Amino acid sequence: MTNVLRSAARIPPAYIVFVILLATLWLTKPQLMNANVMGIFVRQVAPLGILVLGQLLVMRVRSIDLSGAGVLLLVNYMIASGLLGDLPLPLILLVSLGIGCLVGLFNGYLVAKRRVSAVIATLAVTVIIGGFVQFVASGKPPGNMPELMNDIYKMKWGPVPLPVVLWVALTAVMAVFLSRFVYGQFVMAVGENPTASHFSGVPVERTVLMAHVIAGLFAGIAAIVQSAAVAVGSLRLGLEMPIDAVAATILGGVIFGRGDGGVWGPFFGVMCFALLFVSMTSFGVPEPGKQIARGLIILLAAIFYGLNTRKT
Amino acid sequence: MHRRKINRFFGKNSRQGNWWAALLIIIATILLLLVKSDDFATPQNASNLLAQAMPLIIVAIGQMIVIILAGMDLSVGSVMSLTTAILALDGSPYALIPLVFLAAICVGLVNGVAIVKLNVHPIIATLSTQFIVLGIAQLLRPVAGGSVPDFVVTIVTGSVLGVPAPVFWGIVIVGLGWKIVHGSRFGLHLFAIGGGNASGQLDTAHNFGLKDERNIVLAYVISAGFAALAGLFIAGRIASGDPSVGSQFALDSITAVAIGGTQLSGGVGGLHGTIIGAILMSLLANGMNLANLSAFLQGAIKGVILLLVVGLQSRKKMGL
Repeated sequence: MTNVLRSAARIPPAYIVFVILLATLWLTKPQLMNANVMGIFVRQVAPLGILVLGQLLVMRVRSIDLSGAGVLLLVNYMIASGLLGDLPLPLILLVSLGIGCLVGLFNGYLVAKRRVSAVIATLAVTVIIGGFVQFVASGKPPGNMPELMNDIYKMKWGPVPLPVVLWVALTAVMAVFLSRFVYGQFVMAVGENPTASHFSGVPVERTVLMAHVIAGLFAGIAAIVQSAAVAVGSLRLGLEMPIDAVAATILGGVIFGRGDGGVWGPFFGVMCFALLFVSMTSFGVPEPGKQIARGLIILLAAIFYGLNTRKT
Repeated sequence: MHRRKINRFFGKNSRQGNWWAALLIIIATILLLLVKSDDFATPQNASNLLAQAMPLIIVAIGQMIVIILAGMDLSVGSVMSLTTAILALDGSPYALIPLVFLAAICVGLVNGVAIVKLNVHPIIATLSTQFIVLGIAQLLRPVAGGSVPDFVVTIVTGSVLGVPAPVFWGIVIVGLGWKIVHGSRFGLHLFAIGGGNASGQLDTAHNFGLKDERNIVLAYVISAGFAALAGLFIAGRIASGDPSVGSQFALDSITAVAIGGTQLSGGVGGLHGTIIGAILMSLLANGMNLANLSAFLQGAIKGVILLLVVGLQSRKKMGL
């Protein structure tokens, strides 16, 4: 009996919350339950889902990355303002990914080599990038995105929107990467016990640095998808996204150093967000209510894991 | 003996941390501003500077108390916003002001209990309450507006015998902070708990019989209380409620505390360093304003300062 309870407590809250939300929506708003509408809901959170892939990696090595908002602003501004002139689109996208990686490398240097608190470092990076972009743009939103990006964003593969396909594919790649490569073992070891890993010959600093670079890369991809979705340049894009990413990751059973939820737990954490925001909007909950929900999700999920750790 | 005194003054092995560097930068900044700007040495600017610095000094003192415990309070900015939102409600100031502090105590209790009893990391606990409290503030007052009771405006912007009210605020706040951090048993326990934490032995203080859990909860309550006090001050200045007024203060207060020599890993810090740090940050903001620097660029520069200060502190632990 205690075994059953114990294994029940190891199920990431995301799965349970997802089922509850789905059932609530099914009962109260059955008209929303068709492939087209659901596809649009899920498409909306695809950028968040991609950002979460990086977040779960850094959180498994006991770090955190709140600089996604900065990468988003920078990439969005760069593409929308035509800063790069007449470069072909693939090259522009490549530069965007490069920006993500560079920001990640800087975060990783600060966190792994300089031992700066990850929250402070990545928040400061966001503040710096945000201030810089707004200064360059002098507070005015830049022009539009290339139309081709929005067209690709709206395409479908069968009934499934293309961004969702990309999200699922990247999640699968991440799952294989973490389970089949040595790096995945390093990540697990550093998360369990950094000191023991260091003395067992695991390159702790390099593992954490690498995690931040990969998180930066995913932030770059998320920025491209999100920019394609809004189709215009904006200076207030995705300011809440890193926080939502943290909430979805914790909800999905990955919390500092512990990776119970794997890669698919956080995936369903993001799906919860898709349903949650839809149901909150359809029940007429105002924007501040969403702020409170964000905070409560992080707090309750963290308490759930805090109590679990204390018992063992 | 002599060498030890010098070492202690310059922050080596000192419990107060390295605060003299910030003091030197303050002196340099004042000299620079005196030479470069004609508007700096005016009575108008001096009283502006004092009124601008006061909220940051108040929040930073509370922030320092939790940082000495190797914690961090990211919810202070939201508590300030909530305070202005509550004060802008209809009602008697004698009901609203106690309500403000009651709300702050609740936030502090939630933070503290989540950290010590429910085993949540301080940064995660205060990050989540930051959003919850901000949401409540936005529910009470979706956009800036409303009006604050005259009583609050008077105690912040008034003057007694020609001396502006912020001066009295400063004396009371610094006295209160000194009593808490350097003049009480609680203050002594702060350094003991934080120092044990910094050396990697979480239970050192506990093993010596200190009530560490109770002290940690109390520290978060005090931090929220100071944030409410700062919110009260700002509400008096702007005479209305504003749910976004505190958004900068979480990072700004951490910068001020860190620049004043308090170590984010805990156990090392002091009140004078924090006050020097908060004054330095306000002076820099004032100087950048006088130089007509874009507000966006000012934000970016503050971020760079935070990274520099925190990047230069040494820490054993990696990650959060």
